[in-house]
Amino acid sequence: MKAVALELYKLRRKRLLPMTVLFLGVEIAWAFAAAARSMARQSGPAGWEPVLAALASMNGLFLPILTAVCVSRICDMEHKGNTWKLLYTLSVRRSGLYAAKFAAAAAVMLAACLVQTAAVAVFGISRGFGPPLPFALLARFFAGAALPTLVIIALQQWVSMAAKNQTFALALGMIGGFIGLAADFLPQGAGAFFAWAYYTGLSPVVVDYGAAAAGTGPPLFTVTDAGASLAGMAWLSAAGAILCLAGNLHVSRREV
Amino acid sequence: MLGKCLSAEWMKLRRSRIWPVLWTLPAVSVLIGTFNFSVNQGVLKHEWYSLWSQAGLFYGQFFLPVLIAILCAHLCRLEHLNKNWRLLMTAPVSAAGLFWAKWIVAGTLLAFVQMLFAVLYVLAGKWAGLSSGLPPELAGWLIRGWIAALSVAALQLALSVRIRSFAAPVGIGLCAVFAGLGLYVARLGMFFPHSLLTIGMGVLSRTALSGSDLALFAAMNASYVLGFAAVAVRLVRQSGESA
Repeated sequence: MKAVALELYKLRRKRLLPMTVLFLGVEIAWAFAAAARSMARQSGPAGWEPVLAALASMNGLFLPILTAVCVSRICDMEHKGNTWKLLYTLSVRRSGLYAAKFAAAAAVMLAACLVQTAAVAVFGISRGFGPPLPFALLARFFAGAALPTLVIIALQQWVSMAAKNQTFALALGMIGGFIGLAADFLPQGAGAFFAWAYYTGLSPVVVDYGAAAAGTGPPLFTVTDAGASLAGMAWLSAAGAILCLAGNLHVSRREV
Repeated sequence: MLGKCLSAEWMKLRRSRIWPVLWTLPAVSVLIGTFNFSVNQGVLKHEWYSLWSQAGLFYGQFFLPVLIAILCAHLCRLEHLNKNWRLLMTAPVSAAGLFWAKWIVAGTLLAFVQMLFAVLYVLAGKWAGLSSGLPPELAGWLIRGWIAALSVAALQLALSVRIRSFAAPVGIGLCAVFAGLGLYVARLGMFFPHSLLTIGMGVLSRTALSGSDLALFAAMNASYVLGFAAVAVRLVRQSGESA
């Protein structure tokens, strides 16, 4: 816990929080504008589904890149300051340091996911979507954003800590963002192998643009069955655990 | 003096690992854009123009600006390590020379990236079975895109000189991408570097630029390059003092 607190303390003057807020602000504003346009075109009553679908879709692009930037900031300060040897003299195991950095990055990104979920709730209430607040949908949305993010943190941290040059980590984040954006266009089943594709894969709302493309009606928003996501979540969790463990073992045993 | 700075910059890139990044990002854009084009050919019927709208949109709107940010951060990375700014400022070259050398190197690498994207675009179109001739606007899109990329590079170099972190300028660059998209939608695209990139590459609109639009495009790019260069040169001088 002390190690995690120290990692968060090191972020004090790194302006990570303002950058995260700026990122989230742009993403949320863009998603809400897209959802509002979609609802204005539809003749039926407005609801939570278009907003959740729009934000889940935007998460596929934004969150991988934001995660890459956050993790890179957290890991790069040690590379830049040449402080690895100093850190390893402390009475904390190397694996503990690795875990502390993971926890710090996870804290920042989970807070971002929570802010998104809260923003959806506030947007819905302000738009009069009607009580009651769909806690189950919001919880599933949060889980669908948080779980892929944690897996991506594990991957990005491994790359950021293993390589001194952060070019690769950020390029990986960028490619991941692209995969997340284009996830719906990937062949059936191919998306299961990319963590970035799970932002839309684990979204509680799916969109069918068939009628819209044919010009016969608006896009169709459907709430998916919660049980259908369980297999994907289990697979993703296992992959995340393996990445975390492998990264920790690799980085902890390296010569500094 | 500029020549010496340029040869020093090229020497620093000799065994650099930026090269795989420079060809990977355009390749990924073309790959996914082509795949999307090939599965939606029932809807996308304008052959080369539709392929451009798929591959060029992701590339010009998202990937190229972020690639520029990563490239500029990489160019300034060595100076941020081990207080190398101070060492650099003891060299008998001007701060302006240092900046312009980095900018010229960035511009040269971006020209390579544009040419690579063009080659991949043509190969993708041939693979997708497009038999008609290449769009005559292609050269204009690529050249104007490169010119706008130089403005974005000047901005990103200024940010990377000022900010020691590698990731922060990239994050700011990505926010600027969305700001640029918003300004483009609000019909103010000519007044922001990232939206000039969108306009120059014709990724959101096939309408050709009129003579006055082209003149405004050139003037805005020149203004941004000179403006950001002035800021960056000042920051280079300050970096030597504060590093």
